[in-house]
Amino acid sequence: MLQEMRRSARGERAAFIVTALALGMTGAGAPAWAAPSKGDHAAPTAAIHGLTGTWNRYPQLDEGVDPKLPPPPPPVGPPPLKPEYKAAWETQQKAAHEADARGEPAFTDYVKCLPDGMPAMMLGMFPMEVLQTPGQVTIMQEAYNQVRRIYLNEKQIAIEDAEPGYWGHSVGHWEGDTLIVDTVGIKESVRFRNTPHSDQMRIHERIHMTTPDFFEDQITVEDPAYLTGPWNFTWAYKRLPHYKMLEYVCDSNREYKDPKTGGTRLRIGH
Amino acid sequence: MTQSVRDRRMLRRIVMPLCAALAVGAAGVALAHHSFAMFDSDHQIKLAGTVKSFEWANPHVYIELNATDADGTSKDYTVECANPGILNRIGWKFNMIKPGDKITVIIAPLKTGEPGGLLKQVTLPDGRKFANGAPAGKANIQ
Repeated sequence: MLQEMRRSARGERAAFIVTALALGMTGAGAPAWAAPSKGDHAAPTAAIHGLTGTWNRYPQLDEGVDPKLPPPPPPVGPPPLKPEYKAAWETQQKAAHEADARGEPAFTDYVKCLPDGMPAMMLGMFPMEVLQTPGQVTIMQEAYNQVRRIYLNEKQIAIEDAEPGYWGHSVGHWEGDTLIVDTVGIKESVRFRNTPHSDQMRIHERIHMTTPDFFEDQITVEDPAYLTGPWNFTWAYKRLPHYKMLEYVCDSNREYKDPKTGGTRLRIGH
Repeated sequence: MTQSVRDRRMLRRIVMPLCAALAVGAAGVALAHHSFAMFDSDHQIKLAGTVKSFEWANPHVYIELNATDADGTSKDYTVECANPGILNRIGWKFNMIKPGDKITVIIAPLKTGEPGGLLKQVTLPDGRKFANGAPAGKANIQ
């Protein structure tokens, strides 16, 4: 089996080199990723930047820090909410901690089996798969079978035309070795850290590969209605070689909301 | 071995566990489908019993176990495990537990006192032991 995996890895590398060479030849001498032309779905950026593959958020709970990799990003700080929203958010966070201490954890949308959407999906609860194809980068999160599609070299739609959803409408382009992504159209009920937001929320990402097996996603959330300024945080990912993504359909939820406390309870028995 | 190599190795022995501890504390890696606050991980219990059912599904895998508690009473316990993804990645298989199997589990019991808990470790009829993945934490009894 190990030999098969090695053969397969060699095959992938060979295919990558052949593809990169073939695509490079179409670039008229310039580096293929240097200047993707607007709306060019065949822009040869896809195969070259190496994001295709499976990834784990780094570091995992049971994983030490690898001194060969960049240090893990700092923890996500609190959202810079405007004063009129900040107090309510802080009260809610305190209540959630107290409910946890009482053994009555909050019955969140995630516990209800709803996907976490953007930007929380990039937190990488479970392994993540990235596919680079001409004109598109697709990111899949194993938890809840989440999929987001980043359309390359397209103009972003007007924010008022963005249909609200869990993953929004994302466009991206390469600037050197960094994928710049812009996302609008996140449903107001889809909240990261229970942070309220408006339909004016915009998520900027700078996805940057430091080595072939490590990348970071620097995220900036902007929302003129709720935030005083940008909310910046970064998550890091390490390649998970040879991993095959599993399906995740949340069809067997035994957690329910306690009508008395509002907290999460486990249904006992069948 | 040169002094500088020895120094580097020594430094790595000191620094790496420190970095690991900081990272786990600070990185805020997602824990699970829900908080584990429903379960009392400080007062784990061990149960030996017979499997009534083994449900391999999301968001959690469940073992229904008929076991005798400390008072000698036979009870049906609902044992919550991680999800198929986490368990697959630490070597479980969807069919490795079957109704009728005699197994032993260590669980963090529900704080409500109901017969159920979060799995910490399971011992199969053939003696193999499996944990429940990093988010659920380890057994603190044996």
